[in-house]
Amino acid sequence: MLRLVNFAHGAFYAIGAYVGLIVTQQYGLAAGLIAAPIAVALFAVLFDRVLLRLFYDKEPTAQILVTFGVAIVVEESLRFIFGGTTRPFPLPESLSGSFNLGFASYPTYRLLLALGIIVVVFAVWLFIERTDYGLIVRAGVRDRTMVQLLGGNVKLASTVVFALGAALAGLVGAAASPIYSVDPNTGFSFLVPSFVVVVIGGLGSFWGAVLGGLIVGELGSLTTLFFPAASDVVIYVAMALVLLVRPSGLLGESEIIRG
Amino acid sequence: MNKDDLTIGRGRFIAGGLAATAATFASINVIAAPQKTVVVGLNVPQTGPYSDQGTDQLRAYRLAISEINAHGGVMGMQIQESVGDDTTKAPVAVENARRMIERDGAVMITGGSSTGTAIAVSGLCQEKKTIFMAALTHGDETTDINCHYHTFRRYNTAHMSAQALAKTLLTKYGTGRWFHITADYAWGHSVYDNLVAVVEPKGAKTVANVLTPLTTTDFSSALSQAQAAKPDVLVITQFGKDMVACLNQAASFGLTKSTKILVPLADEYMAKGVGDNIDGVVTTAPFYWKYHSDKYPAAKKFVDAFMKANGTPPSNGAECAYVDMYQWKAGIERAGSFDPSKFIPKMEGYHFTATKGPEYWRAFDHQGINSVLVMEGVPVKDRENPFAFAKVLEEHQGDAVAIPQASTKCKIESA
Repeated sequence: MLRLVNFAHGAFYAIGAYVGLIVTQQYGLAAGLIAAPIAVALFAVLFDRVLLRLFYDKEPTAQILVTFGVAIVVEESLRFIFGGTTRPFPLPESLSGSFNLGFASYPTYRLLLALGIIVVVFAVWLFIERTDYGLIVRAGVRDRTMVQLLGGNVKLASTVVFALGAALAGLVGAAASPIYSVDPNTGFSFLVPSFVVVVIGGLGSFWGAVLGGLIVGELGSLTTLFFPAASDVVIYVAMALVLLVRPSGLLGESEIIRG
Repeated sequence: MNKDDLTIGRGRFIAGGLAATAATFASINVIAAPQKTVVVGLNVPQTGPYSDQGTDQLRAYRLAISEINAHGGVMGMQIQESVGDDTTKAPVAVENARRMIERDGAVMITGGSSTGTAIAVSGLCQEKKTIFMAALTHGDETTDINCHYHTFRRYNTAHMSAQALAKTLLTKYGTGRWFHITADYAWGHSVYDNLVAVVEPKGAKTVANVLTPLTTTDFSSALSQAQAAKPDVLVITQFGKDMVACLNQAASFGLTKSTKILVPLADEYMAKGVGDNIDGVVTTAPFYWKYHSDKYPAAKKFVDAFMKANGTPPSNGAECAYVDMYQWKAGIERAGSFDPSKFIPKMEGYHFTATKGPEYWRAFDHQGINSVLVMEGVPVKDRENPFAFAKVLEEHQGDAVAIPQASTKCKIESA
């Protein structure tokens, strides 16, 4: 809908991680998980209204450059404010153990995270597919002008979608940090795999992103298990193969790519 | 143009003229009394998985340089730094060093944090006939199979760590089933080979060695394997942020409770990042600020100055960086020249005492021979300072644990 490739998404993740960490240290994990998406959504709205709107009509390369630039500014700002040291994200004792699944035991927090992701994915899907607001969003993807003529506020919907995406990145930043720890570079280390996920799944496709995420995750894990030397490169090979066979991604629509 | 514009214009003109005159005199002054400077290249990771260690080394270099410059410099020359962020990547490290030598005229390169970058920079410095004081590099290769005439490395080697650990490994960890998660590059392989060489002849069985690339953030597949294998010992040969991620994730898999964990090399920043998960974990280090500053006045002076300048105690890599800078200065002054061909013979076999006990530079491989500490992590509640992460179990003298000359693979050049 936004027709925008946002390379600052990793920065949203990093901001979420830091906000989550600070709030969690003061008020507990639940508060951290609530504060992070709200703070990041507010930051994203500000970013969108002040800077990004100037680039809506520019070509994708200009959008990539400006969002990438903001990502660098955010990373260096976080380094300046919090220092470059990796910070552990403490978990409450009740979540830091492992859970016996019968055939193996698995970290409790990772299990909860997996369940939480399923809930969030379905919530977003319901929002897009089953609400009136989601209808404006989906229609806006197809034909902005027509939606505007019919009285839909596409501009507002764009901002809402952008803020929602940012909030999700912020939420994940806070939720994943007990596993990955927090450092200023954390956003960039997730940006590239996320981009690969979206390209494999198909730009603009909701289930494509979910499918891409599963493929990238499984490929990475299985390769580390059986052929660790290739674990760095395997997702890029997969991306290249998908692009050769289906240039618009597995579930993407070619029209959206052109947009 | 009205009168006001003219007035402002004239004012600006006069001010500009005065500024230009001042600048001219200032520059004449500079030309009349040129600063005698010598450039050294500080090539450390400031981003990437080893950035904490690189940044701390940079602090130590800067402390040493400011002290040396305040006391008259090196042979009357003020040290000027040329800094590069090697991002823990060998090609970047080499390009930085090349720029420092070719563009900035650096007469000495120092830095590190990874054996991968150290080996690459060492090769370049040999080609360029420039001194390389390798700082934080722990893999044997730097002064073993990849040794070079222009490279000196004071930091302990993996062989030294493994030999120093030998007794503790057998008494505390036993000869059961060992599972390794190893960083997949020169350093990780070196540590793994050395540990296996110590424990397997005594009866320990290696069940698996999972190799992970540098900058791995998710160790879950390696840790799942470790969990399924139910080993007696889990060896985490990871460094910097990778070690922090791996050990914290091992804890979430319950492995820190079910298995004895060994981290062959750690430092203050890694310990801070893993909090209580390092409690009871055995590790090694060439220097520990708390232990050495209690024992040696020179170490206390350094630790106090470092804390005053930075607010935190030095990590072991920072101590190595600090001493390396002073060792280079002393070597240059003994040689009476910046010429490497005069400097190197004055370093080889040279005995000195800095922040630790007596130590020396070995002539045949340019390895610094100094002590190794075997340490055990303590819980956060027992640390009077976030960086006071361990208690020292043993101190081993360098000569007793270093690769003997008879076993070295180093074939050093003659020039």
